[in-house]
Order: sequence, then C-alpha cells, then structure tokens
Amino acid sequence: MDRSEIANTVAVRLDRVSVLRRNAEGGQVQLLDEVSFSARSGEITAVIGPSGGGKSTLIRLLNRLADPDSGSVSLDGSDIRGIDPLQLRRLVALVPQKAFMFEGTVLDNLQKAFEYRNEVPPEADSEDVRQALSLARLDRKMLPREARSLSGGEQQRVALARALLTRPRVLLLDEPTSALDRRTADALAATLKEITRSQKLTVIVVTHDLRLTGRIADYCFYLEAGRILEEGRGTDMLARPETGELKRFLAEPLDREE
Amino acid sequence: MESKDLVNLGLLDLAVAYGLVLLAIGLARLKKIGQERQMLWASLRMVFQLFAVGYLLHFLFAVKSPLPVLVILLIMGAFSLQVMGARIKRKMPRFYQVVGTSLLVGCGGVTFLFCTLVVHYSPWYDPRYLIPLAGMIIGNSMNGASLAAERLAAEMRERRDEMETALCLGASSRQASAPALRNAFRAAIMPTANTMAAMGIVSLPGMMTGQILSGTEPMVAVRYQIAIMCAITGAVAITAYLIIMQGYRHYFSKAHQLEVQ
Repeated sequence: MDRSEIANTVAVRLDRVSVLRRNAEGGQVQLLDEVSFSARSGEITAVIGPSGGGKSTLIRLLNRLADPDSGSVSLDGSDIRGIDPLQLRRLVALVPQKAFMFEGTVLDNLQKAFEYRNEVPPEADSEDVRQALSLARLDRKMLPREARSLSGGEQQRVALARALLTRPRVLLLDEPTSALDRRTADALAATLKEITRSQKLTVIVVTHDLRLTGRIADYCFYLEAGRILEEGRGTDMLARPETGELKRFLAEPLDREE
Repeated sequence: MESKDLVNLGLLDLAVAYGLVLLAIGLARLKKIGQERQMLWASLRMVFQLFAVGYLLHFLFAVKSPLPVLVILLIMGAFSLQVMGARIKRKMPRFYQVVGTSLLVGCGGVTFLFCTLVVHYSPWYDPRYLIPLAGMIIGNSMNGASLAAERLAAEMRERRDEMETALCLGASSRQASAPALRNAFRAAIMPTANTMAAMGIVSLPGMMTGQILSGTEPMVAVRYQIAIMCAITGAVAITAYLIIMQGYRHYFSKAHQLEVQ
C-alpha cells in the first residue's frame, strides 16, 4: 500500500495524545498517556481494558466532547480542531454507555438530531426509520411508546438507532451491550458487522465485553491506566496475550461485568 | 399630596407599641417557650436600624446633587449582591461578575426608564422618589436573581447526561441547555407572577398601605402600586434573563463542550 491508500483507509487517528485531569488534592492524574491509535473505515476497532483505564476518555476525544492536553486527533488526515464541532458531530456519532432518553416517544427521540440541525426529520413510516430500527433490533411498534418507560436494553438500542439515523461516517460505541441479554447482544454484533462493511463505516467499540469483542473486532487495542499495552489485527490478542496486564484482565471475568 | 389627616406618632406612642413586643416576650418567658432573648435582640435591632435609616434619609433628602444618591444606590446593589453570595452555597462559575452586571443593567435600566417615562418628577435624582423606587426594584430583583442563579446551577448539574447526549446529536450549547434555561427562568419569574395574581385579594401591598395611611387618596395609591409592580416585573425578568443567558455560557467551551466542573 502506498501512502495515499493508507490515508484513505485510516479514518481516525490519535497521535501521542495525553489527557490530564486535576484531582481534588490539586495534583494531576494522567487519564491518557501518549496514546497513539488508529481505526480504519469498513472495520470495527475494539478498545478493551478495565474500568477507569481511559477507554471512555479516548472516544470522547473523537467527537470533541473533550480535547486532549497534548497530541493530535485527525479524521481522514486532517486535524479535527480545524472542523466546526457541530459539523464534526454529524460525521462522528457517539452512543454513550448510559443512553439518555429525552422526554417524549421513541419517535421523538429518533427525530431529535434533525430538530437540532433544523432539518426535516424522517417520518415514522419512512425507509430511513425502518432501517435504523431494524439495524438496532427494535420493533416498529416501539415508536409511539414513551421512551423513558422502556427497559435499559431497549433504551440502549433506541440510542443506537438514533445515532444511525443521522448516517454518520464514524460510529463510537461505549459499552453497547452492557444492558443487553446475550441473545440480543449477539444479534446486535451481527448487524453491526454487516453495516460496517456495507456502509464503509468506521466503528470504534469500547468495551469490557470479551464475547462481543471476539465476535466483531477486526483490530484490538488493550488500554490500561491510560496506556496502550497491546494491539493487534483480529482477535489473536485475546487468545495469546503477551503482557501480564492483559493476561490478568482476561482471567478476571468479574471485571467484565458492569 | 397633602397629608392633612396624617396622624403623627410621638415617642410615647412608640413606647406603647413597643409594649406589645414586651408582652410577647413576657408570654414567651411565662410559658417557657424560649426565644425571648432573640425576640428582644431582633426588636432592638429593628428599632435601631430604622431610626438610623430614617436619619440617613432625612439628610439625604436634602441633598441637591446626583452623585451621593447614585452612590447610595450602588451600595444598595452591592449589599444585595453580597447577601445573595452568602446565601447561595453552590455558585455558578463567575457568580459575582454575572449576577453583578445583570443586576446593574436590569435594575438600573428599568429604574431609569420608570423614573423618566412613568413617574414624572424633577430633578431626576430627587432622592425622595429615586431611593424608595429603586429600593423596591432592587429588592425584588435580588430575589428573582438569586432564584435564577441557584436554579441554573442546579439544572446544569442535574442535566449533564442530557446535555452531553444532545451535544453528541449535534446540538449547540444553547440548544443542549435550552430545557435548563427554561426552568431557571420559570423559577425566577414565578414568585413575582404569583404576587401579582394574588395582589389586592390575598395581600394589600405594603407600599400602597403606607401611602393610604399617610393620607394619599386610595385611587392614587393604587395607580402607584400598579406602576411599581409593572416595573418590578420588568426588572426581575430582565435581570433573570441576563443572568441565565450569560451564566450558561460559562458551563461550555467555545467548541460546544461541557466544561468539567
């Protein structure tokens, strides 16, 4: 591959990124320490690691919910600080772990992004809505229901459908299966894999869920205490961990729950 | 306004009135309710403070230049800001700057318009009019302002998840915080709206009662009361609006990011 080809396939890149936070005692905690990371389009990149290791901090940099203290973040080769944040968030959708539901029905929630952008939202019976619902494994009968009355797993899928409906190029998922039962999680993994290929999406999944990672990851990063300790193509890393940290993480099933 | 039926109160009359406080204190002591020390202290403070302010006004009303009057108004405003600052525990970022400028613009602007366009008197700084009118406007705005500031800080704290989700969906910081701003404004304006709705039926306002007692024709006193209520409403609304619209910005960065608090 020559250089221009690499630029086309690497959609998201973090270059020696550090994030600091002041703690209560006035000291500084390093949330991310010189992290370099990249994700390609048409692939699912998984970031695994224990809680508090910096996973959520990392994806929040990609749609500029936060900015790093040093290092650069780029999208398709250009620094994201040069892109208007509101435009950037149209290209890069983040689905947080705790899906927040706005007051109103599921349909109201799905249409929310269009309201913010002063665009005509897709109707309940439109092809776009139908497709987003089926990708997120939701039934059409859900649309008129009060979003806050749904179960945690259902809300999580509404949040996914809400993000997909805006047709992002990069999809950031923070613990997407944390509130789902095993069957739904597996079904979601399958559709995620399918749309990543068909729509040339760049998907970055941050998770403890090793089962999910094993099923969907094209590339894996292991992040602990703000540093990338291992990375590799496919999921070989899970079968043949090299560092003591990853071995320990893989051996502690309790830490995978949250 | 001639006060021909005005009944003056002599010191003896005041002493009799104070006897009622002593009666209350005596009852408290007899029935072992307690609080007599506090009641005594509070009543003495009241007597002292009111006499002091009476003397101050007495001399101030003789003033023939605008500067001392404006200084008094600024001191009143600064004092109300300090009272608010002491009472509100979890302050929004840059509390004094935001609330101070809002009070200055909201109360100052409304007082100025009110004194020049509604109550025609001259000179414009005549302390007999300007000080009590501005005092009522500042006092009421202070309540509205502290409700707006307190509610805004609480809403911004409680709605973090909601606002971040909105930002993720492409909302601007203004759009993401719209529900919080709406609630803060409602909280600020509600007491004034309630007071207006109940006025005349539930309560006879103090200013009107005072004017009537000092011999003013009730219809004149009523007109004054209506006018001042309108001015208070305007001042409360403008002050609260300015606090909210300046205040929410300090929770976000220019890149529409929610700042870490």
